[in-house]
Parts: sequence; structure tokens; C-alpha cells
Amino acid sequence: MTKEQLQTAITEKLGDKMTLLDTGRHDLMYEVKRENLLEVCKTLKDDESLAFDYYLNSHGVDTKEKFEVVYNLASIIHKTRIDFKVILPYDSAEIESVQTIWPGANWFEREMWELYGINVLNHDNLTRFLLADDWDKGFPMRKDWDAPGFIRMPEL
Amino acid sequence: MGIIKKLPVYAEKVPGGGIVTTSLEMVLNQARARSLWYLLFGTACCAIELMCTGASRYDFDRLGMIFRATPRQSDVILTAGTITTKMAPRLRRLYDQMSEPRYVIAMGGCTINGGPFYYDSYSVEKGIDHIIPVDIHIPGCPPRPESLLEGCLHLQEKIKKEKLSDWQEK
Amino acid sequence: MGGLKTEEFIVNMGPQHPSTHGVCRLMLTMDGEIVKKIEPVIGYLHRALEKICENRTYAQCIPISDRFEYVTAMSCNQVFSMAAERLAGIEIPERAEYIRVIMLELNRIASHLIFYGVTAMDIGALTPFLYGLREREAIIDLFEMTCGQRLTYNYIRPGGVSKDLPKEFVPQCRSTIAMIKEKLNDYEGLLNENPIWLARTKGVGYLDPKLAIAYGVSGPVLRASGVDYDIRRDDPYSIYDRFDWKVCTRPNGDTYDRYLIRLDEIKQSIKIIEQALDGLPEGNIKAKVSPNFKPPAGENYARVENSRGELGTYMQSTGEKKPLRVKMRGGSFCQLQALPHFGTECFIADLVAIFASLDIILPEVDR
Repeated sequence: MTKEQLQTAITEKLGDKMTLLDTGRHDLMYEVKRENLLEVCKTLKDDESLAFDYYLNSHGVDTKEKFEVVYNLASIIHKTRIDFKVILPYDSAEIESVQTIWPGANWFEREMWELYGINVLNHDNLTRFLLADDWDKGFPMRKDWDAPGFIRMPEL
Repeated sequence: MGIIKKLPVYAEKVPGGGIVTTSLEMVLNQARARSLWYLLFGTACCAIELMCTGASRYDFDRLGMIFRATPRQSDVILTAGTITTKMAPRLRRLYDQMSEPRYVIAMGGCTINGGPFYYDSYSVEKGIDHIIPVDIHIPGCPPRPESLLEGCLHLQEKIKKEKLSDWQEK
Repeated sequence: MGGLKTEEFIVNMGPQHPSTHGVCRLMLTMDGEIVKKIEPVIGYLHRALEKICENRTYAQCIPISDRFEYVTAMSCNQVFSMAAERLAGIEIPERAEYIRVIMLELNRIASHLIFYGVTAMDIGALTPFLYGLREREAIIDLFEMTCGQRLTYNYIRPGGVSKDLPKEFVPQCRSTIAMIKEKLNDYEGLLNENPIWLARTKGVGYLDPKLAIAYGVSGPVLRASGVDYDIRRDDPYSIYDRFDWKVCTRPNGDTYDRYLIRLDEIKQSIKIIEQALDGLPEGNIKAKVSPNFKPPAGENYARVENSRGELGTYMQSTGEKKPLRVKMRGGSFCQLQALPHFGTECFIADLVAIFASLDIILPEVDR
């Protein structure tokens, strides 16, 4: 299945919920609104012409103005790839968990919560796992994070 | 008889034949230096070079060094790899579980001052000097097996110069 | 026999243990000798590589990417360079592509030789460790001849490779892979029909293909459960579509198949290297790219087939000389996540064998 065929299939099935962005190099990048997330994910996985059953990656991004949550998926049968993102403002950084659709999303969402502070609803185990047990210095991957002992590399 | 002539100066020749007298200190130091058993403590990239040094081409066994899995049976801890803030209390605990005489070789740039993770990292301990007392530092990222073997030979030289009274006072 | 009261207890397979996979901690809930529940505790090697990369230029990120998955550092360099090249729209010359493929496949063979040695050592056989690492030294000599380093190469950079192959490389490479092809017969003869090896690994740790796909497991572990998916063929990158090679799969999905499939993959890699050496063209090894290049705003997710699974890098740029966000994704993360779901109801000795057959490297999990 080529990229053009995939694009037409997505526009047919989910044209009102996924908007194509032009920032994706080499793969299709869409934007999905937060309230449509679970429905879009279910359609992407269950529909036979799309069949995105292979969950590769998800992570948070801090662009200094907003948070973004990016999802990368693949399909084993049709050998295609797709990416999409959900944009969240700083003051309401919450998103639903997709682990009921893809069980592999569990640890990725846990890490995203731990490093960015994006709250993941309906997650079964939102506890600390990468940072030290007594970590109390905030969410380190945010762009405005700082702490004593954190040394930035000087510009050359 | 011939062996008496080949031994270095510190062996005293007894008239009439084959007894060698020397000091207890010298024998103990030679025995300790020639059979250091190291604890397998590889965290990161330097652990692969540690494994290669213990394998066929650069052999550790010819220096008398064998790996042990538990700190109770080892003499030297070879910290190979980055130590993070989460791992530091466990390293201290392992060092405390070793029985004396015990030595520490810090292998790689990360154990000296944080290595390539000195800047911009929020969870790396910048050196292990403030966690456990280090005897030998080996620089490199990762150090070649020949550097590691040279570091172990320097440790052997250091052990041979020790006095028995050092350990008694501790 | 009534009245014997038993209760479950927790055993800690602590961060320091002799199978040198790194610092992984497993909390096991045991009922006698049988493992009932596994809880992995990670984070002992979290070095904040992603935060570091946000303050480095694209070329300065490459040595950091080496430390992400140091056993196959060439693949990490490759996936990083691919992501940066796609953002900036750089085309790399033919000779650089061929050299990259040769280095990637040599690195895959070296990594599988370490797997062979370390897995056998975990299960109790000490001789294969010495054999595997002896052959790996011959491959490391080739790398050292080209780029000067034994483990963290910093060789494949955005735009091409950093140094050209010296003239002794091609004959020495041919003789090395001929030697490894012969020695594979020794390795197979040592373990494949060995009754102790069969008793420890056959039928142990069955991984269902549906469970594997649900958790994002990739690489040899996925293909040993019968799923036919390989990124080099199904989402092609570089010039893998020009060579004639086969994707290996095995039907059973137990530890024995996960061991056999890696020996099959060594044979296929040898085939690819021979074809690449025959077709190596002359020419430049680097495209004209300035050291502090600024790609236009955009994002992409590049993936390669590593010896441990899928290695992916997501990169987003805003037009500056440093990336906005770099996310690295390794195959071991997903395999460790799936372990509690298929590694239970077995003896603890079987758990050691299953854990060794997954070939997990902790920096991929912790970053």
C-alpha cells in the first residue's frame, strides 16, 4: 500500500477527525484533537484497510509554547507507517491513556508523565520509574526546568 | 640451591642450604597482588571492554584475576560504567559488603568526573570519588583493554608497597 | 499431606547480578521454585541522553547516540544520521551507502556473537563465551583500522561517513567473514544438538505472536515467534533493496528458536557483506554539508533494523542548529515490558534462560 493510497483511505474513514500537517518528512503526520483521540485510535486499529496494530512509540514534546504528544504507528499486514500528534496547552496538560487499545503504550505513557508532567487519565500504574526514588525537583524534560548542580554546556 | 641465587636481595641465604627467610609482609603482599578477584560490576559501555579483557585475546586470568559474582568473595571492585544518582547508594552498599583488604579501580571517564555526561545531564554522578575511596583511575571512553591491564598492574605495584601496620590501624 | 502451610515470598534479582546485561532489577514473587509475578524496576542507568541532545548541534549528537546502544553503535549512528538527513534533505553519495551497509552488517554479526557467548554463559556453558569473543575481536580489528575506535565509533555522520576505507580493508574483510562462516559450524556443533542445551531451552518461554505484536516487540524475538516482519525489507532504507537476502523466521517462539534465529541471521549478514564488497563503487564518501547545518522546520521518525529489534529516532527541528526534541526508542524497552506477561509460571532457572534469550541491553531501556 503506497502513501497516496493510505492518504485516501484515511480521508475516507477519518477525514473529519485527522488533519494532515505539512511538517512530516518522509512519513505522513496528522493532527488529532484531544477529545477524538480514543475513537481515532480504535478505528486505526480495527479497520481492515488500515490495520495499525503495531504500536512503535509515543512521547511528549515541549515547544516552549505548548505540549505535544506524538504517536508513531505501523501496520504489519499492509506495511505502512503513520504518525499523529495531539496538541495540549500548558495549563490543561491531560490526555487519555490508549493502553486499552495497544497494551504496549503502558510504559511509554508512564515515562511521559514522569519527565514532562502530562497527566495520563485511566492509567493503571502512574508511578516513578526512571528517576531516583527520592526525586523532588520537578519535571526535568521541560524547557524551563533548572536545578542546582545542573551544568549547561557553554557555547563554543 | 639455584633458586636462592635467582631470588632478589630480600631473601637471606642461610649457610648450609635450602631455607629462604623473608618477611611475612612481603609474602602476604605478593600473594594478595598476584590473585586479585574482581567483582563483576559493569553498568555501561565499559562493561563490554571489561568482558573483552577477560576473554581470549587479552586474558585477565594470566594476572590471576577471576570474576566473582558476589562482593563477599572479591578483593577489588572494578566499576566499569556510569554511576547515576539512583545507583549510587547500591554501589556504596556493595563496597561496604566487601571484606578488607579491598581495593577500587575506577574505569572509564564517567567514573572520574562524569565523562561525556558532565554537561546537561540531571541524573549522573560526576565521578565516584565522593561515594567510595578509589585507588586507581583509568581514563578513556572506553579505555582499551591494554589500558585496563596496565591499570591492574599499577594496582599490583601499589599493593606490593603496603605495610601490615596499615591494615591493623584501620 | 495436609497441613503444610506455604506462602509466597519476594526474591530480589538485584541491580548487580552476574549475567552482564547491565543494571536491571527484577522483583520476583515466588511460590517455592516457581515464579508467579515479575516486576521490573529500571532507571539505574538513566543518563538523560535526550536532554543532552537538546543542547548539542546535529553533528555533536552523534557521539551521544553511540552511548545509547553501545554494542551496535553503528546502527545508532545510522538512525540518527538518517533522521537528520531527512530533515535537511541531504543526499549521500553511493560509496558512502555501500560502506554504511558493510559496517552495519559487520556490527550485527559482532552483536550476535556477543549474544551467543553471553547467553551460553548465563545458562552455564563457559566455552562459547571465549569462542564468540575471539571471533568478535577479528571484526573489531576491522573497525579499528577504519575509524580508530573499538566500541563507540562516531563514524556514520549526517552526510556520509567520516573516513574512507584503507586499502587493506577489503581483503581483510573477505578473509574475516570467510573465517566466521567456517567457525559457525563449530558453534552449531557445540550447542545445537547438546542434550543439556536442549533440555534448558526447548519449550521454555513461549511467546505468542499476538502478544508480541500487542507490546511492540520487534527484531529476532518477533521473528522467532513466526511473524514475518523485517524493516530492511518492509520499510526499506539505505540500499538494502539491491541485495539478495532472506528474512529468517522460526515457528516455535521458545528460547531455542530465539537462539537459532540469530545464527541464521549471521549467515544472511555474511551474504549481504559479500555482495556489498563486490559492488563497492569509487567516489566521494561525504556530501557537501556544513558542520553547523540548520535544517528547515519539520519532524520525522527514522527507524532501522537493529540486532535487538527496532531502533527509532524521532527528531523535530525549528530551523535552529540544535534540534528541539530527540527521542530514542530501542527494542529492549518493549521486550522488557512484555516479559511479565510471558515469563511467569516457570522455574527461576528458566527465567534466567528467557531473560538471556531476549538479549536486553539496559541503556536502550533507560536512556
